[in-house]
Amino acid sequence: MTGLLRAELLKMLKRWMPYVLFLLMLIGAATIIWLFGYVSYRDEGEIEFHATALRTFVYPYSVPALLDSGQFWGAAFFVAILATSTVATEHNWGTVRPALVGGVSRARYLLTKLITLTLVSIVALLIVFGFGVLMSLWASNAEGIAVPAPHPEGFSVGDLLIMILRTAFCMIPYGLLAFALTVITRSTAVGIAATMGYMTLEGIIVALLSTGGDIFQDSRYLFLGHSVTVLMAENRFQDLDFNTIAFRDLGSPDQPGIWTATGIIVAQSAAFLAAAFAVFLRRDITVSHG
Amino acid sequence: MHTTPVLNTSTEQLPASSPESDVVLRTVGLTRRYGKITAVDNLDLIVKRGQVFGFLGPNGSGKTTTIGMVLGLLRPTGGHVELFGIDTRRDLTSPLRRVGSVLEGASAYPHLSGRDNLRVWAMIAGGVPDGRIDEMLSLVGLASRARSKSRTYSLGMRQRLAIAAALLIDPDFIVMDEPTNGLDPAGMREIRQLIRELGAMGKTIFVSSHLLGEVEHMCDHVAILKSGKLLMQGEVGSLIAQGTALELQTTDADRAEAVLASLEFVKSVTREGVRLVVETSGDHAVDVSRALAQQDIYLSELRPRQSTLEDVFLEVTGES
Repeated sequence: MTGLLRAELLKMLKRWMPYVLFLLMLIGAATIIWLFGYVSYRDEGEIEFHATALRTFVYPYSVPALLDSGQFWGAAFFVAILATSTVATEHNWGTVRPALVGGVSRARYLLTKLITLTLVSIVALLIVFGFGVLMSLWASNAEGIAVPAPHPEGFSVGDLLIMILRTAFCMIPYGLLAFALTVITRSTAVGIAATMGYMTLEGIIVALLSTGGDIFQDSRYLFLGHSVTVLMAENRFQDLDFNTIAFRDLGSPDQPGIWTATGIIVAQSAAFLAAAFAVFLRRDITVSHG
Repeated sequence: MHTTPVLNTSTEQLPASSPESDVVLRTVGLTRRYGKITAVDNLDLIVKRGQVFGFLGPNGSGKTTTIGMVLGLLRPTGGHVELFGIDTRRDLTSPLRRVGSVLEGASAYPHLSGRDNLRVWAMIAGGVPDGRIDEMLSLVGLASRARSKSRTYSLGMRQRLAIAAALLIDPDFIVMDEPTNGLDPAGMREIRQLIRELGAMGKTIFVSSHLLGEVEHMCDHVAILKSGKLLMQGEVGSLIAQGTALELQTTDADRAEAVLASLEFVKSVTREGVRLVVETSGDHAVDVSRALAQQDIYLSELRPRQSTLEDVFLEVTGES
């Protein structure tokens, strides 16, 4: 497994694409803090929005804001694009065949891809988060606010770790959705478009379904975003709002319980994973697919 | 011109393979269907250690499908494959670790250099000794371009890189699917030379091609496939010898034709102008000469007409 993992890392880290995605994520983190937070705070007239903008850039209130936007764009941009590209290009280049005929089992091959993707995503997104926190400290200082800003319940390293883990958990199903779609279709375009389209539209669809009858309301459970919203809302400090680029309503009262939401996410993630492995283990590997 | 040298290829006559036997590859009733189309039909093949085995067939005859099933990329509809005596339905990965393969449409990571491509394959295979990568790059003539991205390589260079990758693990068995496809004459010659060298090194090689001259020059054993069916397999020399003919000119062609046609070992006699072409089942030049002399017919010219693999191929595939 180690050799295969090293090979995967060499292949991935010698491409320009992960670095472009990483740069976009850094720009995104800076945008949250400076544009959605600092600039909005200085421009806002309404006191309600003024406070929301302040909580977006002042540490530690900026942590939920960074994680919320990071979960959405991290999953949609970084993880989904990396997952689809990592899998589909091997088919397009025809390199999946020599790997498999070299004595690597299909399950091991796919599992190694998944592990590599996870490792690279964890490292890259943690760096992006750290960069966002640095930006937050800088912006707080620029506004003359002492950090950490007073927090009524206190804010420990343990709290921070739980918030990060919760966010990472909420990225998993979207990453696996992109992974499964790409394994099944062998197409980068389908993997990226379908995952990003799904993430963008599901918030709107869930909101529309919320206005319907029982059947419509129950059908919201089919959408990942409905459950993910519950967990991401847990990251908030005292249910306080902040500016985010994620398409979801964290304050919606009509949501499943935490454990129900967690169960749904686990079940859907397992389904995506099972679909990817079931298809890849049985399918014919031919020359190339676009 | 030639009669078809049909070889019985039933599995009963093929030696069974086992991990200890010298049978490297054995397919038993291997079949692959795509809907109503049968791409490979009940194929029984056998390749023994040390053979350079040519897998011949027209385009679309099922060669690549067969190779795909041998290497576990395609699932057989029926039958099975044994590699080094191991049934690949039970264990595919361990025998494949002894196999190097060069698949159609040489694959490489375009963003990696030639050396990094080989590093990737070496890491995946594991246990590749230090220095082996440079050794292989030199062997295939890519040492000077080792640092260039493989996307800048010509098709021939990519093909050579694929061969280097296949040889990294020092495989016991090398499978090549149309290794000279798309290459210019110089590139084709290089690959042929390399395959001959590998054969001389004692490697077992299974090479598919639709180029008959190529296979005749490189291979010592051959199987011919058409429409998914195995038409024949055997030693190249004996297949060609089976089609041996004598070309002769006599003092009385009409009588000579009648005399020769009555001989037991003569398969056919045909006239080509003043010459007679006698197809025999082996080397019977002396017998032909004696039979004619006994009838007071004398030879003014007698020479063997050696058939080529192309003659055999066209004969058995019915395309002559």
